[in-house]
Amino acid sequence: MICAGIDAGSRSIKIVLLDSVTQKGIATDIADQGVSQEKIARELFKNLLRKNKILKNDIVRIVATGYGRNIVGLVDTTVTEITCQAIGVGRLNPDAKTIIDIGGQDSKIICLDGKGLVRDFAMNDRCAAGTGRFLEVVASRLGVKLDSLGGIARKSKSPALISSMCVVFAETEIVGLLASGAKKEDIVAGVQSAVAGRVCSMAGQNIASPVIFTGGVAKIRGMDMALAAAAGKPVRISPEAQFTCALGAAIIAANNGKTL
Amino acid sequence: MLDEPAKIDLAEWDRRYSEMHLRGLNEPDYGGPIGRHIAEGDHRLSSLKFDNSPAALRLWNLLLTEEQRLFEAKKRGKKLVGAMKDLGTVPVMACSFETIVPFYPDGAWWSPCITELSDELFKAADSIGIDESFCPVRAVLGAFLTGDCFPIPDRLICSVGATCDDFSAIAQRVQALGHSILWWEIPHRRNPEPDEKSVRLPGGFNAPACHVEFVKSELSRVAVSLEELADEKLDNEKLSRGIKKANVVRRCIDELRNIVFTARICPLPAMEMLVAEMLAIHFCSDLRETTMVLRGLLEEVRTRAKSKQGILSPDAARVFWVNPVADLKVMNLLEDCGGRLCGTEFLFTHALDIIPEDIEPMDALAQMALSDPMVGSSADRAKRICSDIRRFGAEALVISRIPGASHCAVEGKIISNIVRRRLDIPVVEIEVPPVSDSLQATLRTRIEAIVETVKKRRIK
Repeated sequence: MICAGIDAGSRSIKIVLLDSVTQKGIATDIADQGVSQEKIARELFKNLLRKNKILKNDIVRIVATGYGRNIVGLVDTTVTEITCQAIGVGRLNPDAKTIIDIGGQDSKIICLDGKGLVRDFAMNDRCAAGTGRFLEVVASRLGVKLDSLGGIARKSKSPALISSMCVVFAETEIVGLLASGAKKEDIVAGVQSAVAGRVCSMAGQNIASPVIFTGGVAKIRGMDMALAAAAGKPVRISPEAQFTCALGAAIIAANNGKTL
Repeated sequence: MLDEPAKIDLAEWDRRYSEMHLRGLNEPDYGGPIGRHIAEGDHRLSSLKFDNSPAALRLWNLLLTEEQRLFEAKKRGKKLVGAMKDLGTVPVMACSFETIVPFYPDGAWWSPCITELSDELFKAADSIGIDESFCPVRAVLGAFLTGDCFPIPDRLICSVGATCDDFSAIAQRVQALGHSILWWEIPHRRNPEPDEKSVRLPGGFNAPACHVEFVKSELSRVAVSLEELADEKLDNEKLSRGIKKANVVRRCIDELRNIVFTARICPLPAMEMLVAEMLAIHFCSDLRETTMVLRGLLEEVRTRAKSKQGILSPDAARVFWVNPVADLKVMNLLEDCGGRLCGTEFLFTHALDIIPEDIEPMDALAQMALSDPMVGSSADRAKRICSDIRRFGAEALVISRIPGASHCAVEGKIISNIVRRRLDIPVVEIEVPPVSDSLQATLRTRIEAIVETVKKRRIK
């Protein structure tokens, strides 16, 4: 018997298939999000089953999560990404006390009680300053690839100070910095530091170790270091960082839709 | 009670209304189907879910007909007093006169939501430079410009001092439009110094006695202005009668809150509770009908609670809500996500407390004015919130910010930190604009997440 978790995020859709008896992962896949979210999710799901020679009837339960969870029509139930991240990250990092999840559109800090249960959480607001979108804007403005930001930032000896809390105004600042001859690596390092500061400030004093970093932005090198500097404590990147939320949804599906 | 309690949409309400009407529904002269208000521009009603009781019908009709009643009162020769900013004091004084009808022009802040911006009040405010960077209460400025929401009051009385910058700016613009305002000052509430004489305020805070004396002197100026308008003296006897009338309303709301927030099965939806609580300040434009409406609601919830009937599942997450929302749809959303309202702090908790009747009336009113949560610190608000969370047994806190509003830029942080530290319950901050349709998905995620967290903590 197989269960599926679908994380319909703002930038990409992720699917995890899980053996509901052994609770071992069977397959994962990811696709860019688009306008026809329902169609993308269905296609991704169909292809994942086909590639792994799994019949649709073999799937006993599907749980959707993420920003687009209510648009994915093929699911049995939906659960928020807060709960799914806690369960998914908790499975791969049983000692986790704090989860930092930075996605394309939002960022979250989830405080766990030590037994994998959510004690409290905080999410960013509509502003994109503490999200992956900020990094995308910067990469685009600097004409570099998103996944090369970490490598570029590592060369920085004097990170630029980005004072604006708004992505649009920060972009203006970056234009100004470029015009004044600031180095790309200093700008990227400055932006990483600004994103990290913004995310950690949501939590206030609420960051207990071990701190686990997950979400799509965890794949960008250097962000973990920027977060560690902002939080004042070590930050560990979760295994399968892009899939932890979908994994949590799949685990919930395997538990008959129960979140425990 | 005619049927099982339920939440129904507008179309269903209008069908139900026809049936109830045939069965001989007893209504006041402002009664009628809720759906008729759509024709008057209240478009938001078509996307809301309402309680199905006749008591709720009466509540909505009272709420949505204030404007007509004010115009009629003016026609009948009553003097209209517009009380601004202060929530709960001046109207108590004004309703001590038989010839004065007080009301809150500030209530117009809600109009852009209920009309889905078709009232163009924000546009009117924009036109004189008060744009969306200000609190949505800027709609009141639009209302003075268009003259559509209420008759221009015969007297405007506005508190100033420890009030928010936005409102003061907006009220000054109202004055600049040629509407004379009597300003009275309310000082910031602070703890008395060790060598200062202290007064224990209703609601539990302390203030220096000299502040109470100062507010009393300010309210005396207000009293003189009202006497001039009414052409009669305001003696202690009259003022005591006004206080007693206000207390009738406050006692009803207090009992309503107690029953609704503590019943095992929630007997009244969050949206109707918000509107009912607002009557603690808006009662003044029609005290008699407000009392009737509240008594009707009380009877309904008593019956429902006694028979263990309600409109939500017994396992709904018990949520305490801070700050009122302009968009009532969000109160529906709380319940759609599996939550229920168990306590509120809508910035006028002092208007829910009973005004002391055993001290000199002007003293009592000065003390009440100083108990206003908006004239003290956010830490004070947090203390009161903690105490009410315990009282009603809430399991989570939602702090709802109003975009552009600046009662305190960091109030959310201060309140959430104190509540987390003292009570260890989950807290979430959300921001609700006057029309929140485009944000429903993100609001839903936050509210669903807090409901999931509460339910998991219960199992633990």
